[in-house]
Amino acid sequence: MADDGSVTTSAPRSAGATAAVRAYAQERIEWRALNIASIVFFAGAVAFGVAYGLKGDTFYLRLATEALIFGAVALSVDILLGFAGLLSLGQALYFGLGAYAGALVLKQVSESFWLVMGVSILVGVLSGLIGGLIAIRARGVYFALITYGLAQIVAKVIYNTRELGASDGITGIPIVNVSFGFWQTKADNPAGFFFVVLAVIAIIYLGLLYLSGTPFGRALSGVRINENRMPFLGYRPDRLKLAAFVLASTIASIAGGLYPMLRGFVSPELMYFDASTNAIVATMIGGTGTLIGPLYGSVILVFLKSMIGTITTHQIMVIGALFMIVVIFFPRGLLGYLREIVVARSRTKDGGGP
Amino acid sequence: MLDYMQFVLAPQMLNGFAFGIAIVLMALGLTIIFGLLDVINMSHGEFFAIGAYAGVVLLASGVNFWVAVALVPLLMLPVGVLTERLLVRQVFDSADRHTLTLLLTLGLSMIFYDGLKMVFGPNPLRPDNPIPGGIEVAGVFLPAYRMFLIFLGAAIIAAVWAIIYKTSLGAMIRAAAFDRNMASSLGVPVSAVYSATFAFGTALAGLAGILLAPIFSVFPTMGHEFIVIAFTVVIVGGMGSIKGAVLAGLLLTQVQAIASLIISPVWTDPILFGIMVLVLMFRPQGLFGRLGHG
Repeated sequence: MADDGSVTTSAPRSAGATAAVRAYAQERIEWRALNIASIVFFAGAVAFGVAYGLKGDTFYLRLATEALIFGAVALSVDILLGFAGLLSLGQALYFGLGAYAGALVLKQVSESFWLVMGVSILVGVLSGLIGGLIAIRARGVYFALITYGLAQIVAKVIYNTRELGASDGITGIPIVNVSFGFWQTKADNPAGFFFVVLAVIAIIYLGLLYLSGTPFGRALSGVRINENRMPFLGYRPDRLKLAAFVLASTIASIAGGLYPMLRGFVSPELMYFDASTNAIVATMIGGTGTLIGPLYGSVILVFLKSMIGTITTHQIMVIGALFMIVVIFFPRGLLGYLREIVVARSRTKDGGGP
Repeated sequence: MLDYMQFVLAPQMLNGFAFGIAIVLMALGLTIIFGLLDVINMSHGEFFAIGAYAGVVLLASGVNFWVAVALVPLLMLPVGVLTERLLVRQVFDSADRHTLTLLLTLGLSMIFYDGLKMVFGPNPLRPDNPIPGGIEVAGVFLPAYRMFLIFLGAAIIAAVWAIIYKTSLGAMIRAAAFDRNMASSLGVPVSAVYSATFAFGTALAGLAGILLAPIFSVFPTMGHEFIVIAFTVVIVGGMGSIKGAVLAGLLLTQVQAIASLIISPVWTDPILFGIMVLVLMFRPQGLFGRLGHG
């Protein structure tokens, strides 16, 4: 296994090298499975966007756009949980800060898509640095509780700040014109904006996929597997964790910047615990540490909620029950199991077991 | 100046003290469960809310308040046992116990929270004050119910301390917290002790819920709101420490009470959070050591 962190010190060097080669080969197969899943995801999204765009649909395109935006928040949970092994219970905080920053920029500064993206990146980096410096001092469950407390408190302060619209939030956000130079669309064009968001999410996803293979990505996994061993290899776990935290908060904040363009308003609820929980639920359903899993999970969750919403207003209860079932019976999530199946099949094909 | 002390500061500190006692009851449940089972119970806030709502229901159906105060913790016991047996135990032996139990109790809290909202509606309810009025001591008005809360709560805290440190059950709990396998091989029924402790912590949360109900309102999101301060108390006092939960609980609620005289109450939460961050910076393990560890 590549992930159990065990090193057989007593085995001869050649055996160790063979094991390393085998672990590497297995990991290649694992990522190949995930890459296929991600191609299916993005190809499916493009096909969906074209089909529903031609149909002139609004509802499902908007819902899918929202699923992608929340999918980015789930991705940010996965960076922390799946790679660095840190469970953040307050990821919605950075999403909400990005959303408020975006709303303020659009209303008071300029109706520019690119300015919002720039500002939300800046907000994500700064708030991530502050939140990260506080949170990464703590380990394990303490980390989870601190991220939770931080999000609750900032949300409460914003809820009580009249300048930010207090409990009403900020409404009446103008419709943005998104221009890529060769092609442009407006945020109130359901298909057009769906593709804008899809492009942003795809860029984030590809960037993370690339990072996961770099020394930084590998070192982060090292922190998750055995944090105490990392300093002996010359790494600074604190810095790695802070970098992961800032990366995650930036992604959540970018997603936040997209939200007011889609919905035309922001409210303190965006930062609340329920929003953070949704990102965790999506990540767990999709599979932690798989990157593409959280996007699948988010799509499943958003559409499931919409479906349940036609039957009952008490979706949280159903989602909570589903979440518990996933945690008890399928802790590796959808993509985690897919990955396992692919690896098992490739093993029988090679004729050799572990 | 004397008037300020008499009419503003002293009543505010007294309110803070009554609130602090209830928060300590809640934090004690959290910290004992963490100290023994190594489980962060995210549904602890909802247990607190369920206790409050159970109290509202009992009172509405004509049960005497005092009987309700005695009944609610008893009703909470099976809730705790079932949570421990059916949920926590499912993932207890997994390598990711911390994360998985946290997530599992998080899911449970979602169900409870939404369930309370479904049954009772989103609006706050408030039971009548069972002992209105009060007495005046040295010019300071002491509301009777808050005084009662303080005395009953203090007695329960003392009882919890006595159970943990002076009885054989407490010795078993501490032994299991220190070394589960060793305790088990020495004949401690670890499995039963786990369930009993979880149920005990749940009962304390429910008790805090009904005791605070006549002072604060009862509403579905109350669990979310109060658990933040309970977590702060437990982290500052030291996860798994009984002494820490009591001292940090009383201290932090006093800070909150006094600070809210000077600044807007909205900003008292960030102050408590700031204290917690400072404690974590200099003493990451909290002020006091963990249950069963000296």
